[in-house]
Amino acid sequence: MKKAIPILLLAMAFIACQKDPDFNQLSSDLIVYTNHDKSANFSKYTTYAIPDSILVLDDKSKPTYFAADDPRTTAIVNAINSEMKTRGYIEVHNNADADIGIQVSYVKDTNTIISYAASNPYWWYGYDYYWPGSYWNPYWWGWTPSYAYPISYTYTIGSLIIEMIALEDANAATKKIPVIWTAYMAGILSSNQLNINRTVSGIYQAFEQSPYIESGTK
Amino acid sequence: MKKITKILATGLLMLCLSATMTSHAQILKGGYFTVDWQFNAPVSNDYANVASGWGMAFEGGYYVIPNMSLGLYISYHTNNKYIGEQVLHLSSTESLYTDQQHSIYQVPFGIASRWRFIKDEMFEPYIGVKLGAMYTRMESNTQVYTYYHDRWGFNVQPEIGMSLYPMPFNRTGIHLALYYSYSTNKSHVLTYNIDGYNNIGFRLGISF
Repeated sequence: MKKAIPILLLAMAFIACQKDPDFNQLSSDLIVYTNHDKSANFSKYTTYAIPDSILVLDDKSKPTYFAADDPRTTAIVNAINSEMKTRGYIEVHNNADADIGIQVSYVKDTNTIISYAASNPYWWYGYDYYWPGSYWNPYWWGWTPSYAYPISYTYTIGSLIIEMIALEDANAATKKIPVIWTAYMAGILSSNQLNINRTVSGIYQAFEQSPYIESGTK
Repeated sequence: MKKITKILATGLLMLCLSATMTSHAQILKGGYFTVDWQFNAPVSNDYANVASGWGMAFEGGYYVIPNMSLGLYISYHTNNKYIGEQVLHLSSTESLYTDQQHSIYQVPFGIASRWRFIKDEMFEPYIGVKLGAMYTRMESNTQVYTYYHDRWGFNVQPEIGMSLYPMPFNRTGIHLALYYSYSTNKSHVLTYNIDGYNNIGFRLGISF
């Protein structure tokens, strides 16, 4: 019976042997996830505004941005503008004139959203979110976004979040600004740097899988 | 190439085990053990239905009457399949664009019984059935995330096989079996559902 013991041990060792698939076969392409408010009527909106910089979620105690003249910002904003205009929306540069606001964030550190929300007094302290309502309207101090669908804060390092908020439908009584569309893309890093081509492809893909985004003016 | 290497390595392992025992009789009088490499093909789902040899099977039993044995079995197997880029509509409002590596990992175990038609000869053909539980992990791997669902179910495996003992005085030999496996596990990952796992395959190894 002693002879059987090594064989049984061998058997036990094999039991944990799930064969991993060939991860190299997975393309170095990206993952694009989109979700939207089912009750939103995208056709009723005509104009939109988009900031000329991209919020970087990192471990800094104050917000940092990809500046307006950063080629990453230019490529990302241009891609969004191209899609929005193709779908009949008109860009405006005054937030007060916009029906829709588009806020873009790059996740450089996943701890940011969770750890800073309660403890950091510099930016979204007192807010539920990283883009304060006052960015879009100076009188919306303390206004927060509201989601009609579940959101996840377990974002991956090196991912991009695009959100469309309905400025036109902001509610003064509740101080809520509806978020009507979220696009989240991961797998956009190359050698730990943002890959512009892949990011732009991800933006096009996000709009492609969201055919409901179309202005009534089109 | 990796697959061939793995098969060769498994074969070598079995030869080594066999070599250590050629000078001995059975480990347990009236009993038997089998250690097999396993080739498995899922047949009732297209989630990960690429046949593969990534599995092993182990069985031990005791002949409670001259031709009928009772024992225990356990095996494990992985089948994978690559799925190219596509948009998955996760709900009425959610869409996900990605490529995937699908994977199914199965570990059935339980009670095994055999009826052998010939006893103590060079060829020992038999029919058998295995009854037990099965653990499954259904996985979808993407570049960034792994989605998975672990489930348990009942497993049944009819089997037909034989042991070949080249030297009748030595009960170490070659084992070959064909099997069908069904289990009741129900799994769900992303937009994919599996309601019951059906597999066919064969096992090749040593019997002692």
